[in-house]
Amino acid sequence: MASAVRAEGARHPILEVRDATHRFGDVLALDRVSITAAQGEFLTILGESGSGKTTLLRIVSGLEKPSELESLRIAGQDVARVPASDRNCTTVFQHYALFPHMSVGENVEYGLKVRGVALVERRRRATEALALVRLGDKFDRRVHQLSGGERQRVALARALVTRPAILLLDEPLGALDEKLRQDMQVELLDLHRKLGLTFVYITHSQEEALTMSDRIILMRRGRIVQEGTPANIFERPATRFVADFMGMENLIPARFEGLEDGFAVARVGAHRVRGNWCGVEQAASGDQVHVGVRAERVRFAVSGDEGHPNQITCRQGQTVYKGKYVDQGAETELGTISARIWDHGLDPARITHLWWRTEDCVIVPD
Amino acid sequence: MRGWYSNFVSAGWVVPVFTVVWIGLVVVPLLIMVLFSFVEIRDYRVVYDLTLKNWESLIDSGRWISVVRTLRVTAVITLIEILVAFPFALWLAKGCKSKNVKAAIITLLTIPFFLDPSSRTIVWRAILGKSGIINTVFIELGLIDQPMEWLLFSEFAVHFGMIAPYFPTMVFPIYLVLTLIDDDYLQASQDLGASPLQTLIHIILPLALPGIVAGIVFTMVPLMAAFVEPGMLGGGFVNLLGESVEAALRNLKYPTAAALSAVVIALLAVLLTALVLILRRRGSLGAIFVTLKR
Repeated sequence: MASAVRAEGARHPILEVRDATHRFGDVLALDRVSITAAQGEFLTILGESGSGKTTLLRIVSGLEKPSELESLRIAGQDVARVPASDRNCTTVFQHYALFPHMSVGENVEYGLKVRGVALVERRRRATEALALVRLGDKFDRRVHQLSGGERQRVALARALVTRPAILLLDEPLGALDEKLRQDMQVELLDLHRKLGLTFVYITHSQEEALTMSDRIILMRRGRIVQEGTPANIFERPATRFVADFMGMENLIPARFEGLEDGFAVARVGAHRVRGNWCGVEQAASGDQVHVGVRAERVRFAVSGDEGHPNQITCRQGQTVYKGKYVDQGAETELGTISARIWDHGLDPARITHLWWRTEDCVIVPD
Repeated sequence: MRGWYSNFVSAGWVVPVFTVVWIGLVVVPLLIMVLFSFVEIRDYRVVYDLTLKNWESLIDSGRWISVVRTLRVTAVITLIEILVAFPFALWLAKGCKSKNVKAAIITLLTIPFFLDPSSRTIVWRAILGKSGIINTVFIELGLIDQPMEWLLFSEFAVHFGMIAPYFPTMVFPIYLVLTLIDDDYLQASQDLGASPLQTLIHIILPLALPGIVAGIVFTMVPLMAAFVEPGMLGGGFVNLLGESVEAALRNLKYPTAAALSAVVIALLAVLLTALVLILRRRGSLGAIFVTLKR
């Protein structure tokens, strides 16, 4: 399904940004960034603050004028010189930006009002949009009477009511608390499925990006460092930065040695570790690389004679209780390795060896 | 520190102290003034017999014409100030990107506050007068044969002379309220399809309303009582209430001055009440300020 969407999108992207560059004074916020989004795709732009992701979104919406831009097309139409008010996309702002002097309903119908839609018609459509976000009975409420989650949904309804081709969401869940954020994630996915609209979603949370997206674009310092499906970015990070950003707990500096049976081999001290090579370009022997393995993919053995791959002896390190699981540090010749223990019956003191499957291990360039 | 502060802001003594002080310093003198308009002065001594003479003489002497004139001049100048100050404040708050330019303009705007009204007004006589700079230059250039007499000692001169001094009191409150409007609202409006004009009408103006009202109050109230500019630039041809009060006081006609002042205050009360009533339909002004905070 997702791959069919992408194939279609490659031919007729609903959004196409080519070579956008933006400077704030001397600071290069975006460096020749190109992105496309397919009709109906949930595209997430992921990155830490200062990575340029919000600037990119604001260039798409027209609220920021890029320093240089090759082209910007929305639904096939070149909008590089079209003002924000005439672009076929709307934004859900990080702090919602609901107009404080208007009621909930007046906020939602605003986009229709400025387009000259008659009162009765726009009331009807605003009520519909509010019903879509389960706030059908809140039309006459004042904005400041709403909870954070409700404001979030009003902002969504307001952006959706004009039926834009693309919905731009700028860290929309950033201001909500944990539980509400998870509920809203589900709700956003529901809306996305129901409306078949293209979502371009900005976030700094890798967890949010993994949960919601068809495709993720990871940015750093104004450039795209990797793009792909959530599984692709999660399992095959292309650089040490991506691996770290996507929460890979164990990253061990190593020297690249070569290829063996389709796997890369890296040397850490006296040990040879095998894993998937994830870099874009092939490394040369002796290059500085990192061996990465996720804590939850590290397995335990109580004796060293079972012939597991990547097996290493260990001593018990620090134990951090996390509720659902325990993060167990283990001192090895490779350094401290973090392992996740879900089995509360397992006594960490009995663990003598760690190992991980070769497929679960990545070797990434610096 | 925090305890001291919270004690201070939640203190119950504020309301009674304010009430007593304000009544003592403002309300009681006002009532005495109104009372004074109903007494007479004979042989430089106040005679405490209540009489309507002062009020009758206000009407008989045709001073009501100056009431109407005062209202008209005040209304026209206030309107001009709004029309000039709002775009200027909007530029200053949202358009002007340079902090230095902004600081310089704000400083320049305070100049009228530290100049004595007489000295800043008297200069215009030398500029607008019959043999003043403008007439001299125009005649030298051959643009006119006779000096333009309407430049000075006319309603034009009074309006002209009052626009600059009463400009800052209109600009500052509007500027302040505009800086409180988050740029996100303006961008959201644009993003949702509004033209700049629509954003101005639907977002900026309603949110700026408290500042505009404050600007009107701060500008209109002193305008109603202004006497220096009308006196010096009107040259006796443009009698306004403030001037009449001043003249009455100079002639020691305290009851007349009191009656005239009572008229000014009554007019202001009526105008401000009307303003508040009109605005109440737009929802409470306080609520807008509350919601402007994040």
